[in-house]
Parts: sequence; C-alpha cells; structure tokens
Amino acid sequence: MSNLASLDSSVSYESQWDWLVQPDRVHRRVYTDEHIFAREMDNIFAGTWVFLLHESEIPSPNDYRQAWIGTREMIVTRGEDGAIHVFANRCSHRGATLCREHRGSASNFTCPYHGWKFDTRGQLFAVPGKNAYGPVFKSRDMNLARPAQVASYKGFIFATLNPDADPLVKHLGNAARYIDEWIAHQGGADNIVVSGAQRFRLECNWKLVWDNAGDGYHVPFSHQSLLVMTEQRYGGGDMTYFADADRSKMFGFALDNGHSLVDQRPEMHANSAWEQQRPQPGREPFEAHVAAKFGAGAQPVLDTSVGAGMNLNIFPNLALIGNQIQVVQPVKVGVTALHWNATRRRDADSEMNTIRMRTQEDFPIMGEMDDATNFEECQRGLANCPEDEWVDISRHYETGKDIVGDDGVLTGPVTSDLHMRNYYGQWKRLMKAAPTLQCDKSKVKK
Amino acid sequence: MKPAEQEAQKSDARQPNAYKHQPPSLYVVPSFYEWLDEVSTDLGQATVRDVEVSAGFFSRVTQLLNVESRLLDQQAFDRWLELFVDECIYWIPSARPAPDPRTAVTLEFHDRRRLLDRIARLNTGLAYSQFPVSRTSRQWSGLEIWPSHVRKDEWHARYNFMLAESRSGHNRVLGGWNGFVLRETDSGLRLVVKQINLNDADGPQGNNSFFL
Repeated sequence: MSNLASLDSSVSYESQWDWLVQPDRVHRRVYTDEHIFAREMDNIFAGTWVFLLHESEIPSPNDYRQAWIGTREMIVTRGEDGAIHVFANRCSHRGATLCREHRGSASNFTCPYHGWKFDTRGQLFAVPGKNAYGPVFKSRDMNLARPAQVASYKGFIFATLNPDADPLVKHLGNAARYIDEWIAHQGGADNIVVSGAQRFRLECNWKLVWDNAGDGYHVPFSHQSLLVMTEQRYGGGDMTYFADADRSKMFGFALDNGHSLVDQRPEMHANSAWEQQRPQPGREPFEAHVAAKFGAGAQPVLDTSVGAGMNLNIFPNLALIGNQIQVVQPVKVGVTALHWNATRRRDADSEMNTIRMRTQEDFPIMGEMDDATNFEECQRGLANCPEDEWVDISRHYETGKDIVGDDGVLTGPVTSDLHMRNYYGQWKRLMKAAPTLQCDKSKVKK
Repeated sequence: MKPAEQEAQKSDARQPNAYKHQPPSLYVVPSFYEWLDEVSTDLGQATVRDVEVSAGFFSRVTQLLNVESRLLDQQAFDRWLELFVDECIYWIPSARPAPDPRTAVTLEFHDRRRLLDRIARLNTGLAYSQFPVSRTSRQWSGLEIWPSHVRKDEWHARYNFMLAESRSGHNRVLGGWNGFVLRETDSGLRLVVKQINLNDADGPQGNNSFFL
C-alpha cells in the first residue's frame, strides 16, 4: 500500500485509483509501474476468475499441463477418475517446481530435489526417510496448494484464489450467451479439440494486448499492409469491411464484469465468410472435396470451417478470436506472453481440420505481428515520456452513441473505446478491493 | 502429371486460370500431406546414413543453400522465391519434433500463393513489424545430403543454423536446423521444401515477421 501512496503525494490513497483510471483516460503508470503490476497479479488475476486451459488439452487420465494464474504457475492434471485437478507448481517441502515441462503425462510428480512424491491430485504420498520427521510435521497439511475455487464452463477450466469470488457462471454473466454462440460455431462443447498453439512474447504490458482485443478502430491502420496486399492481389477480402467501420453493421458490446464482444458476424458472415477469407494453402482442393461430399449443402460447411466472426473477451485473460482460444499471460510489467491455441473439430474429416489449421495460421502470421509491434512501441512511448501522462480512451465517449440495446446490453459503434472503458471499470473495482487470497493444502475430500 | 494434381482434378473441373485467387493451390492435397509427413520424419531421423555424395553435387547444393540464405539477408524475396519449384512449401513447425500439420497448427505453413502474399505484404512498406526492417546474417554448417527414398530426382538435406538479427536497437540470435527437399529440374537444382526447426519452436516467439 505504501508504494501506491507514493504514486502521487498530492492525492489521497482512497482517490488514487479514481485518479489513475478516469472515465475517458487512463494514467500511463497503469502500464509501466511494477508495483501496480504486482497488485494486479493479486487483485485482478488471483482475485477473480482466470482461464487456465481447455479440457481437450489434457484428454486422458494422468495428462498434465502447466497453466498460469497471472504469474503464479499451476499444474492442471486429469486424475485417474477423469476429474480435473489444479495445484501450485511448488513442492510443499522447499519450494522447488515439480513440473518442469509444459505438458505431458505422469502418474505422479516426484520432486527432483529431495524425492517427495505427489499423486495427480497433488496429494503427498511418499517422503524419503520419513522417520526423521516428528508429530508436529505430521500434523501439518503438506499437500500441494490448491486454489480456492476451480470450475469448468463447458470445458473451459477457470480458477481463482479468492474464496469469496462469485460462482463462475455469475462472473461470466451475460458473456456466457456469446460463449455458447462461439461453441455452437464449433459444433458443440464436446466437439472442440485444442490442436497446438502459436505463442508470442511481447515486450509490453498485458493491457496493451487487452486494449486491442476489443479495438475496431485500428484495423485499417495497423493492418494496412494486409489490407493493401489483399486488395492488390485479390480485389479485397477479409476485414476490408473495417475501412468505414462506424457505418458498418458491426457493433461493440460492453458485457458484465469487464467482458466484451466485437461482433463481426453481421459483415463477415453476411453472405459467405468462406468467400471473404484470404486464400489458404489447399483452398481449391478443399472446395472440391466439400462440393463432392456435401453437394448442395457445401456452403454452410465451408462457412463453418472459417472463424466465428466474434472477438469475445472474457476479462482478464481469455479471448475467443476466430476459431482460436487466445490466452493473455502477464510475465512482467513490460512483458506478456500470448498463446493462440488452435482448435479442430472432433466431428470433422481430415480435410476440414487441415483447412482449419491453415485458416487459423493466416491472421497471426499476416496481421498479429504488426499489432504486436505497435503494442511494443506504445510501451516504449509510455515508458520514455513520463511527463505526457495520459492514455486516451474517449472515442465515442461524447457522441452519445454508446446506447443500451433491446437486450439491455450497452452497445457502441465498433470503433468505440467502450471495451476499454468497460474493462477499466472492472479493473478499478478489483484494484480498490482487498480480496482474500487462499489456497488449500488439506487432504482432498473424496 | 503428379498424383497430387490428378487427385485435385478428379473432383474439380475448373481450368487453373478460372480460380479467383491466383495461383491456385491445387497441389496441397491429402496425398501431398502424406508425402510431407514422410519427408519430415526422414529429415528428423537420428540415423547414420551410409551415402556418398559426389564432391561436385555437394558443392552445387552448398552453393544453392548459400544463395538461399544470402538472398533472404538481402531481402531479395522475388529472386529468393525463384529458387523454389512452383509447388513448394515453406514450413515452420510449432514444436519439436514437427507435429503433423494436418492436426496441429504451425508457426508458418506457406504454399507458393501465401509466400507471394507475404512478399507482397512486406513490399507495401506498410508492414509495421518490418518498419524498420530486420537486418539478418545467417550462418549454417554441418550440411548433410542424401537421396530421397520416395522420388529418384529428389534429394533431402539438412544443416544447423544461427540467425543473427538486428532491428531497432535489439539484437537476437535464433537457432535451430533446417531441412530441405531439393529437386533436379530442367532449369537446375531447385528447392521443394524448406522446413525450419527452431530450437524454441514451442516457446513464445519474438518478432519473426521476416523470412527465417
């Protein structure tokens, strides 16, 4: 707390967060201050629900994967009984990490340092030379530390260290409906199979990535090279509808608890999303294959093999984009890892799943890198010019165009900064709070 | 006509110039992926190959691979692409060993058309990830060459590389090994496949928006 008070001695602590995050602008220190970053790891990432992984990533008993609650490293396993378990990657003895590979399969975890053994539920079952320990030691809970709450929403595994956090479904709120729509595009919850990932390391604060996740304004500028190339080579295609985005049929939605949606479907899926998609390797043979297999029903099959047309952001770290499950992992105040998990469909044939892979490679390769460079240059600008204090988030704040729609959801033009204003509201609520953070090392109840 | 082309044409009666997106990607078909999977396994094999390659041929391959590296360092992308046959693949797997690209996403998987897209994008001068451009210098060594067991006019090759990159005051070194398929054609020795196996293929990558 004391380090926060030092941010600006002219304002009291109570109003510090209101000063840093104002309705239409945000202070640069929110992106550059390591004390604020440390508090985010507690209040934002540990204090509310964060996404860990999709359950298809650990399909079989004994499968495991590392995952993160902010900078806290966890192990997620599937037990013998098929249930999902989450515990800290930290030996209860001296603190060594137990799991040193990103993913794999193991019936137990043996600490490489002193040989303590834990089962796939994180329960300690063997201590070499146990006779050297006494009754006090034996009275202590020495199992691996489990976060206060773990829950699944249709195969999406979330956790929080906050025992007082609302149930996951309440946290997702009105965003759940859109998750369901994204899942429907994949043919159902059981149909989704994560199929590798493209991972990037960005030298910027995690919020620069998050700011962009709901930004319908940057497309014709940051992605100019992609749009110009697509126009030159093919006479236009994917994303060209962002050129005059405020006159388009696309809108941004401010959802509960900082979540948001940019809905590209009214443009992308207006006629045929497949038609608009930039050409993938093997496009024409795939079209021929689908025509031969599905005849008159080919078009919907083609359209379902490209992205869902939604940018659905579940604050603070999950973004459903295209057909990918994107995870934002804060590493340091100025470093972020970004994981684009690709998906295929259990019910699809090899041809469709192959074209899904080639389609999901398009944007990260052709577009994301230009954004990433702009995020990194934002970080440099914010770090290097401290006297210019503010980051503007006021687009469409004063135009009266952010309105409550028929469904009661605050809706704005697709280039509105509504997404940022909305999540920063939640960010500020969480940063002002003093959440209880708890882990449990007691014996797992059967 | 290659089996891949036959397979594509069986169910598609369109003429090559009738396609909206030129050049059409008629060769990236299931049998092509099958072949690529075999090639990938062969390139990555931990084996001792009892193969003698003539000094003359070794030197031709060395020269081709030197030119391939140098043209990328010089950002001469159009001339670089001329080193490849029309039905080519540039492939950066997202893990080690390379997973099957039919069931796992890659870091990059470009047919000729997507290579042309990427070159055109970089040539707009508006690709901000390459503004300013990355200056690179590639070192490679440990070249091995052996005949393909699938086609008799093709050769497989691999070497280890270090790629030094300088951009906007940042210096990086990327490392790994490249696998190649080379083919004797009427216009000389050409590349069919370039597979780039980064040491940290499954780790978070920096700005690799140039060609590796």
